[in-house]
Amino acid sequence: MKRLLLLAAAAAAPFVFPTIAQRHLLILIAINVILVASLDLLMGTAGLLSLGHAGFMGIGAYTSALLALHYRIPFLLALAAAALAGGLAGLFIGYPSLRLRHHYFVLVTFIFGIILTLLFTSLVGVTRGPMGLPGIPFATIGLPQVGAHTFNTFRSKVDYYYLVAGAAGGVLWLRGRLVRGRLGAALIAIREEEQLAMAVGIPTHRYKVLAFVISTAIAGAAGSLYAHYATFISPEVFTFVDSFNLFVMNMIGGAGTPAGPVVGPLLLTVVRDTLRNISPVAAEIAFGAFLIAAIAFLPTGLMGALRRSAGRGR
Amino acid sequence: MGLVTLLQYLVNGAFVSSVYALMALGLTLIFGVMQIADFAQGALYMLGAYVSFYITNRAGLSYFLSLPAAMVGVALIAVLNHLAVYRPLRRAGGATSFVAALGILLILQNIALWVFGADYRLIRSPFGDGKAVVLGAVITHQQLFIVLVTAGLILAVWLFLQRTRPGKALRAMSQNRDAAALVGINPDRIAVMTFALAGALAGSAGALVSPLRAFDPHIGALAILKSFAIVIFGGMGSISGALLGALIVGLAETLTAAYVAAEYSDLVAFILMILVLFLRPQGLRGAAAP
Repeated sequence: MKRLLLLAAAAAAPFVFPTIAQRHLLILIAINVILVASLDLLMGTAGLLSLGHAGFMGIGAYTSALLALHYRIPFLLALAAAALAGGLAGLFIGYPSLRLRHHYFVLVTFIFGIILTLLFTSLVGVTRGPMGLPGIPFATIGLPQVGAHTFNTFRSKVDYYYLVAGAAGGVLWLRGRLVRGRLGAALIAIREEEQLAMAVGIPTHRYKVLAFVISTAIAGAAGSLYAHYATFISPEVFTFVDSFNLFVMNMIGGAGTPAGPVVGPLLLTVVRDTLRNISPVAAEIAFGAFLIAAIAFLPTGLMGALRRSAGRGR
Repeated sequence: MGLVTLLQYLVNGAFVSSVYALMALGLTLIFGVMQIADFAQGALYMLGAYVSFYITNRAGLSYFLSLPAAMVGVALIAVLNHLAVYRPLRRAGGATSFVAALGILLILQNIALWVFGADYRLIRSPFGDGKAVVLGAVITHQQLFIVLVTAGLILAVWLFLQRTRPGKALRAMSQNRDAAALVGINPDRIAVMTFALAGALAGSAGALVSPLRAFDPHIGALAILKSFAIVIFGGMGSISGALLGALIVGLAETLTAAYVAAEYSDLVAFILMILVLFLRPQGLRGAAAP
């Protein structure tokens, strides 16, 4: 029932909010939902934290954009390549670092994210550095015509919104499946008692690497979705502050709660955008204060707090 | 590439290392005592540069006065951060102190943007263009001043930690919090003192380097990220590790800029850090992995 309501709300959203700015925001929210859901796959189950997700998103965005720009690769293939690139980068960094203790792993993801941003900036020959990559082709998929919507070019904001919202729904569904399945059970066991999990024969390292690779592959795909929407990417979009924002969205929404990955991005994307329209500098100050207040008063996130108060009411 | 050129790069690297050493020392002290990765130190470094700018360029007072003023002013802000944010949140622990620190960094950085504007500033060096030549390598008097003051400050901190009662109490807290509380050390007082000390160091770093490098309200972010990488490279909570790490990273950065490419020099600290995490997770001088 709740799920149907959410689906109906998501489908009606571009008509309830018809202006270009509002629809733009809806698309950004959907992309953030994908990213936060991928983070929550780690944080909500294994309690693993990635503070470099914007970097993995950047890998996907640059892979997809460069393939489309230089080799005219069709959108869906570029999207798959972006997911592959994100996943490979996750394997490369996750395999060795997931053997380390938890907080070292967090640091590695954080620093790796910064290294990626610096690489995007300094590999001028490939990425054009701080000037960014302009002219990335719009996403096109060969689909039959439905009324006025051809779905061939997602140039219209409504069409693109349905594409990313559909992808977000798919990722949320996948997250639910994985969390309830073998992988989720193993990750929860790792969070609760890693030594014990190992002792009863769960290959903990393999499961952690697998979860991290899935998560970074999704982040890479989200990068591709962003690149073929914005048609311009630059290192500024994939900084450690952006990684941090995703983490905060996950935390504020409530890690490990089913609705958390939707509530967090919705709330924070709207709050930040509203504040920015008033004054960019005041927005950052208010956002900083908001972060501190959130961890002081909502340590388990909004959905966690709601769940707790609902439990008390019963 | 002659030997003199190499020596010249090492001289340049020494002053870069000095700034990192001051920042990393403060960070590692706070981490040792409080287990907080205090990213807000980046903003304190930036504020140190602005205090120095207002005293020297705007009020027309001596640069040598601006150094202690920056140390005291920034130390007060560091203590304020602790009392207003870290202390009330201390029970939350874990990733939350990280979020809080970034919150403070955002707030201070943007208040600075608001108050000081986005223009780049540079302080007039009291030494003018004065230079000394050592074995063929040129060192400006300002660079020499930075290296000497840094050495003095590090020595002072070392003496404080080794010889005085509050310094010993700080080290005790850093080694074993509960045992320190058991023998009557007041953890709240030590925490305030640690933040004041780290703030003074970050403020001095900002004031020292401001005549050599133009700055704006955003300089703190990259500086703190690198200092943080240096602290992990050296071993979190280890003082000798932070200093050694700062020395190695400062020199490696300068050499990378000279012999490889300038745009890769910012990567050096992070790559060294990743290497150390894989090969020796506790850092160069860290005790067994905590």
